[in-house]
Amino acid sequence: MKPETPFKRLLLTALTLLVAASLWLAACAPAGGDATTGEDTTGGESPAPVATEETGAPPTGPSGALRVAFQPIVQTDPGLISSDSEVFVANHVYDYLVDIDAQSNPTPRLATGWTVSDDGLTYVFTLAEGVTFHDGSPFSAADVVYTFNRLRDPEGGLPTASLYSNIAAIEATGTLEVTFTLSAPNPFFLYDLSDNHALIIKDGTAAPTDFNGTGPFKVVSYTPEDRIVLEANLAYFQEGKPGLAGLEVIFFADDQAMVDALRGGQVDLVMRMSTALFESLKTETGITTLDIPTNGFDLVRLRADRAPGNDPRVVEALKLATDREAIWQLVQQGYGAVGNDSPVGPLYGPYHDPAVQPPARDVERARALLDEWAAETGGDPALNLVLHVPDSGGRPDLAAVLQQQWAEAGIIVEISVEPESVYYGDDGWLEVDLGITGWGSRPYPQFYFTQMLATGGEWNEAHWSDAEVDALILAAGSTLDEAERIAAYGQLQAILAARGPVIIPYYFAQFGALRDGFIGFEMKAFAGRTDVSGVTLATP
Amino acid sequence: MLRPYWRIVIQAQLTENSIIPTAGQRFLRFARRLFADFPTALGTSIMLLFVLAAVFGPLLAPYGFNQSIYEHPRQPPDSSHWFGTDHLARDVFSRVLVGARSVLLLAGGGTLVAVALGTLVGLASGYAGGWLDELLMRLFDSLLALPALLLALLLLGTLRAAYGESVSAVSKGLGVFLVLAVVYTPIVARVVRSVVLAVKTRSYVEAARLQGESLGWILFREILPAALPALAVEAALRFSYAIFLTSSLGYLGVGVQPPNPDWGLMVNEGRRNVSQVPWAMWFPAAAISLVVVGANLMADGLKRALREE
Repeated sequence: MKPETPFKRLLLTALTLLVAASLWLAACAPAGGDATTGEDTTGGESPAPVATEETGAPPTGPSGALRVAFQPIVQTDPGLISSDSEVFVANHVYDYLVDIDAQSNPTPRLATGWTVSDDGLTYVFTLAEGVTFHDGSPFSAADVVYTFNRLRDPEGGLPTASLYSNIAAIEATGTLEVTFTLSAPNPFFLYDLSDNHALIIKDGTAAPTDFNGTGPFKVVSYTPEDRIVLEANLAYFQEGKPGLAGLEVIFFADDQAMVDALRGGQVDLVMRMSTALFESLKTETGITTLDIPTNGFDLVRLRADRAPGNDPRVVEALKLATDREAIWQLVQQGYGAVGNDSPVGPLYGPYHDPAVQPPARDVERARALLDEWAAETGGDPALNLVLHVPDSGGRPDLAAVLQQQWAEAGIIVEISVEPESVYYGDDGWLEVDLGITGWGSRPYPQFYFTQMLATGGEWNEAHWSDAEVDALILAAGSTLDEAERIAAYGQLQAILAARGPVIIPYYFAQFGALRDGFIGFEMKAFAGRTDVSGVTLATP
Repeated sequence: MLRPYWRIVIQAQLTENSIIPTAGQRFLRFARRLFADFPTALGTSIMLLFVLAAVFGPLLAPYGFNQSIYEHPRQPPDSSHWFGTDHLARDVFSRVLVGARSVLLLAGGGTLVAVALGTLVGLASGYAGGWLDELLMRLFDSLLALPALLLALLLLGTLRAAYGESVSAVSKGLGVFLVLAVVYTPIVARVVRSVVLAVKTRSYVEAARLQGESLGWILFREILPAALPALAVEAALRFSYAIFLTSSLGYLGVGVQPPNPDWGLMVNEGRRNVSQVPWAMWFPAAAISLVVVGANLMADGLKRALREE
């Protein structure tokens, strides 16, 4: 039998290498550098059924369409929505009573104005006139009463029941006037009213999944896991809105596919992407990149109700071993802001105290504290803990950098990267000793304190219980005196930086990328609350 | 000098111009064959380099494999960082070098276990025949019906479910090791069995049996040598597939856990940051391909060397 010639095998080898090389190139090429790539991600393009820039639109009124990339929506009942894509869709189909502007201030929407009694217990809202639902029926105070009674019903099984448990009564005090009575003063009540779920639905709607809102856009068609197509609500009560004839939300599984589609011209707006993808879009012509700081953060926390986290020396050692600035530069590439271990980020204006800083990095002192603790309690000076981390965002990267920084102080952690569904599943994240959790941006900081840091808080993942902290949280959440609240938040920040069982190394940035040709776009810290009803074509 | 009589007799019985080579001579001749022609020499060199990297990698690496060099984040390849630095400012060259060990240990170790188990089972099954052979082969058929990667995912998923959160990074490595053994044992066993079936009726095996040799002697001294060429080639091929499988599992995030410098995991991490630090993906991907190509070329050469032997 004649063996194959060396030359033939060499040729085969070369061919194998060539195929391998072309595979990498295909994978490495700046994804979707031209209009042809990225098509596979959207599953073949059909022309948008709404008016586009090319096809034109009637000379008067709204024109053009905006195509937005988002992850698929699952919930369509406003009472149950949670992801930013679900909130984005609902925010354009329905209206809030009170909205939050880009500067995190309450702003009128269906309520044109409101008065608050001196004791802070009674809120009277005046409602907009001439508002109709998409099915043609008129909007009135009864719809507001029905909506909030549904949201606060303890038997209703909606996630807002505890948020609104402070409401004593809701009454329609006129066709277009609603009065809320509280059982205790709540300085953040207007923010609570603009909770993501508080979209006004029609009186008597048992299961509001039919998209019958009063919002600036009406649903034309919804294909689950593909897209939802909306058209302008020409009867919308706000003058000059919406500015576009159509809005299409196209669903993608991941941010890479979204950015490919943006590059390929299949979508106009992307608001969720990794820092690396955002950086790669900055040099793209015809696309404007936007980044705004948010109040969201990644929280590294150690359980404080059992060893080793129940000793302040261990907590301090972890804080001393962490270099927040280096983490911020590596993991967030300098976008957003450096953290100071408190959920009151710089975006909260007067509430944020820039003077409060966690202890500066001191590896030697961290090691000494741990040795002292170990000698006294018989614990392991290397701690040897498992660091649980969900596989989303920059969290695995944060874990890798932390592991390395802590190792310099002799602290050994083993990283366990888990799919989000596993990390949050069965409330495992509330049980583990050491974990990293992402917390989304909120318009006011009280939420983080009551949910995350107060004794018995629903998501008090560190199981922290500190009487002084509880008293300050209560004071900040109930006083009607703004100066008192600022002082309480200041003290809370100082305590957290010094001895809170939490490390907050950075606050996120919110990234966005918009195709040129649109004006009036303003992105919000929570992407889902971005309102595009004021966006128009640059050249109608 | 007079040679002992028996030696002359034995030599006379051997075929023309042959002498009994010493073990050292045989090894040298074999080694020469592994460098006999360019492709085989290339494959052997790649594998030697790879083994050297696996053994001495951590000593040779210019930086710690998990060390962020804060001053040089996302730096393209240059003289101070030959393969550049990744998104967390870690030296990619050091990571690839150190990663060779985990690939060799997991893929190599898993292959060795599979070869050992497969040989035992193949010998037993082929020699015994009958119901034992039927049973084992049908069992293996059912395992082989599933694609290797799917079977590996199923096994790892089951391990994970059984041990839950407590599965540490180390035992996840062990999981990959086990998976390789389970996935490749049937394949090796089938190869060995086919040789056994062809050989067991040969006269020299019959002779050994009639002479009353023990079962162990017959299996390991009479039959196994005949299977060795096929086995060596199969082992080299399995090894190259094992590298692919280990890397695939790392890429899918179910194998070795970050921040370990597993090549597949590095490709996955690099993919997420490919727009900024493409080199962090190129080099581990190139390393995987290079070693797989090297193992295949060497297997090819090995096949011919053993055939000529």
